Amino acid sequence: MAYEPVLTRHVGDQDAYTLDAYVAKQRGYEGLRKALTQKPGEIIDLVKASGLRGRGGAGFPTGLKWQFVLKDTPKPKYICCNADESEPGTFKDHVLMERNPHLLIEGCAIACYAIGAKVAYIYIRGEFYHVQQVLEAEIEKAYKAGFLGKNIFGSGFDCDVFVHRGAGAYEAGEETALIESLEGKRAQPRIKPPFPAVAGLYQCPTAVNNVETLCNVPLIMMNGPEWFTALGPEKNGGPKLYCISGHVKRPGVYEASMHTTLRELIYGEQFAGGMIDEHPFKAIIPGGSSVPLLLDKDLDTPASFDDVQKAGSLLGSAGLIVLNDTVCMVWLAKNLLYFYRHESCGKCTPCREGGDWLFKLLTRIEQGEGQAKDIDLLFGVASNIAGKTLCAFGDAAATPVLTTLKLFRHEFEAHVREGRCTIPAEWRARQPMLAGHH
Amino acid sequence: METVTLTIDGRPVTVEKGRTVLQAAIEAGISVPYYCYHPGISIDGSCRVCIVKIEKMPKLQTSCSTVCTEGMVVSTRDAETVAARAGVFEFLLVNHPLDCPVCDKGGECPLQDFSYTFGPADSRMDFPRRTFDGEGVKADVDFGPTLMLNRNRCILCTRCVRFMKEIDTDAQIGVVDRGCGSEIATFQEHGVHSLLSGNLMDVCPVGAITTRDYRFKSRPWDNPTVVDTTCTLCSKGCSTSAWLKAKPEWAKGSQLIRMTPRFNPDVNGYWMCDIGRFNYHWIESETRLRRPMIRTAAGLEKVGWHDAEPRLRDKIQEAAAADPDAVRFIVSAHAATEELFVLKQMVQGLLGADGLKSVSMAWTRSEKPQPPNAKFKIPAANAPNVNGARDLGFMVGQGNDGPAPDLAELKAAVEAGRVKAVYVLDPGPDGSIGDLSWLVEARRTGKLSLLAVQGVVMTPHAAAADVVLPGYAFVEKDALFTNDQGQVQSASLAIVAPAEAREDCLILAGLARALGLDIAYQTSDEVRRALGGAMPGTAYAGAGTVVFTRPVPAASWLQASNPSERWKWDFMFQDLPPVKGHNVQLEGLAREGAGPNYIPLRQVDK
Repeated sequence: MAYEPVLTRHVGDQDAYTLDAYVAKQRGYEGLRKALTQKPGEIIDLVKASGLRGRGGAGFPTGLKWQFVLKDTPKPKYICCNADESEPGTFKDHVLMERNPHLLIEGCAIACYAIGAKVAYIYIRGEFYHVQQVLEAEIEKAYKAGFLGKNIFGSGFDCDVFVHRGAGAYEAGEETALIESLEGKRAQPRIKPPFPAVAGLYQCPTAVNNVETLCNVPLIMMNGPEWFTALGPEKNGGPKLYCISGHVKRPGVYEASMHTTLRELIYGEQFAGGMIDEHPFKAIIPGGSSVPLLLDKDLDTPASFDDVQKAGSLLGSAGLIVLNDTVCMVWLAKNLLYFYRHESCGKCTPCREGGDWLFKLLTRIEQGEGQAKDIDLLFGVASNIAGKTLCAFGDAAATPVLTTLKLFRHEFEAHVREGRCTIPAEWRARQPMLAGHH
Repeated sequence: METVTLTIDGRPVTVEKGRTVLQAAIEAGISVPYYCYHPGISIDGSCRVCIVKIEKMPKLQTSCSTVCTEGMVVSTRDAETVAARAGVFEFLLVNHPLDCPVCDKGGECPLQDFSYTFGPADSRMDFPRRTFDGEGVKADVDFGPTLMLNRNRCILCTRCVRFMKEIDTDAQIGVVDRGCGSEIATFQEHGVHSLLSGNLMDVCPVGAITTRDYRFKSRPWDNPTVVDTTCTLCSKGCSTSAWLKAKPEWAKGSQLIRMTPRFNPDVNGYWMCDIGRFNYHWIESETRLRRPMIRTAAGLEKVGWHDAEPRLRDKIQEAAAADPDAVRFIVSAHAATEELFVLKQMVQGLLGADGLKSVSMAWTRSEKPQPPNAKFKIPAANAPNVNGARDLGFMVGQGNDGPAPDLAELKAAVEAGRVKAVYVLDPGPDGSIGDLSWLVEARRTGKLSLLAVQGVVMTPHAAAADVVLPGYAFVEKDALFTNDQGQVQSASLAIVAPAEAREDCLILAGLARALGLDIAYQTSDEVRRALGGAMPGTAYAGAGTVVFTRPVPAASWLQASNPSERWKWDFMFQDLPPVKGHNVQLEGLAREGAGPNYIPLRQVDK
């Protein structure tokens, strides 16, 4: 059965982003209209029944998250849409916001109604300036059309949606750091508990949801939870966007059901179309740069939250980074640690000090100046970071080292033994240099 | 009080509900290290050294941020915790310069102490250390008028950031940049400008923030004794500790080297202001009065008490002979309650029940520039004992809350020639009694036949006086002061007064005797007993039984006498058994995950 895209079906149309096209082609704002005829608790039940899981990375059930939002409180409640999308290898929310913004706006409004909030903030990544322009213009139109603002559809429900552009920190994608940043502070994570559902934005009950998650909400409202569950495997229902990048013929964002295997996504003609340049597949990072590598033997795994986890990695933000055999794994780890070292917020000791140390060690090994003990040291330092920090950043920074060491330890040993990078020079020449670190 | 009982390292520990695991461990005497935690400011959970294993929790938890629950089972000594903690300590020292021998904090540094106890024996780091402002002495940069900052030593616990934000409420300090480039900074390097800045040295767990006043002046082992006392530089009466540095052997004795705050939940919490902290140099300054002086043709001449007292008696009697009201007293509210009590007995003995009219209390008042919502407020009244004077019946107007007295009535009487003799009791620093230039002028023009000054330092009015009597500063005597909340507090003898200086209440008692009164106090203890007897049913009733602290060796002070200071000094001088063998465990953990190719470190080195 061919999969029919629902999130991205019209994104290729020239007018896809407009309110008119949204209303005409996607039964726009009908989900909101329907939602407003029901009680907020019923909407949460619907979303729970659909089994919608957070698309930002953790895969936490969205309905449950909304249910946890404190109800008996005199404080206002908030929806924060996490549009920071800064995980390397991830670029799906970008497409939704730029080409189908009203789906997100409608999702925000329904989410607000469900948890009893009147305001949703879309925290958009600092670099997405042009996306912000589109989004703000379309929000303006939604206000004019009466889909946002006071007394929507005469139901007495008020809802405002604001776009806040971040200042360019990876860490701002962590939900509590996002809240801090939204409050005008440094994007550094908070201690949990209290969770945002109890004390989030301005210490008020808050639900933080990913863009793709919220975009699924209007679909569930319109088509019902059964339709949604039937789209994918058990507990992994609904449409899913995959960001495929790396050494494939057609990198890009592809919508599929979570039945689809990683192999289909890489080689399927309707997807990435296979490996580029005749070079064979070496490994894949299946969920954005922070997750463990998978090998060819794992490619028949369906790309669902649960199956990828069973295979030993995580689906994360579904950023599939495909690597062919020209990639030096030491270089890969160094490249990723260059990012994590630069992006660590600096709050927790292990991540702040350890990230820099790992990068220095990897640079030394990659340049052929490492010693055998450096390999063990890499492992020791990475293990001391993993699980010792306030947020998941520490694990994310340690993972590239731990996973490459686990699967490609021989490459590290070869670097040390030979005193140089052991892949052919012309392959090596393809690897981008890091600014200031050659 | 609602309590919860948990188990830490197999020991049942019962604490107040809402306490964190770290607080419970500290209360139970179980050693858990910490840097970002400070009981006076909010919890950050960032330094990660207080991690412990808690049953039923998947990961190690920071004990500072985990609230105790009933039946919780905590372990601080299992292999996993020990190894993980040692790993964090290794990270903390990766970029720390280890310049302990030249660092002011060395010897009382939590990073040193905890690292020795919980850290690995050696570091695996072999890259050059990160530096911010240069190396060595260059790394010390200005951090405002009172402080210096060494960013290389900083471990980014952000206690200083949170102190300024939450206690001072003027968030002058922030973290700039990110990750391993994070540094503590003020806007455009302006430094910290706050009357609470000294506290930043206290909260800093390393030698990153030091005070210009104390740096390079002493080392902890040079300060063998410490005395718990009370600050007397304003009406707040903060609990403080006076640190005494041993003088070189040939010089004998000790020297007041710094003042630090002492926890007192009712008065100052964990803090004190810069005025109390840094304004102690006057006590042992060059201008200190050491011997009695009388005015001769050649100016002020040092004499013995046996010369000064009769001269003073004769002059007073001469002035009082024509008119008893021609003798007046100006008394600084820096005078202790004992002194005020003896003075009251003296003037009432000489002039009858309304003798107190001859005494004018004096002090100064200045509004302190502080943010409006500062959690630690410095009072405007710059004297410690206005309420003590009020309680004894002296005229203090509106007291601490009102304007400082202007002495206009006395001034008019002096200028009209109705007052012939003025006795000034001024045991505070120079200027603390207010402006007495009119008195100096009156003496110069001969309107006064006697100006007598009893004080601690040479002031303009002492320089103009006929008789100068050296008294004791507040750290040189046992004395009672009543703060702005009406709490009767004791300041203790910490250092010995110089040369022939005499305790102020006994100087007054001697004068009273010379004037023919039966006031026979030999010690201030006797004065306090009489004070207690004279004021039954008041806060002063127990004055005779107040116990004053004595200089104690710093080690025992830290261990025993001062449970409230344990938050800061918990581990100093304690013989904790170092947790050995963590390197072995670290490698054990590494080996488990490393697969069959794992080569232990030591073999590789061979």
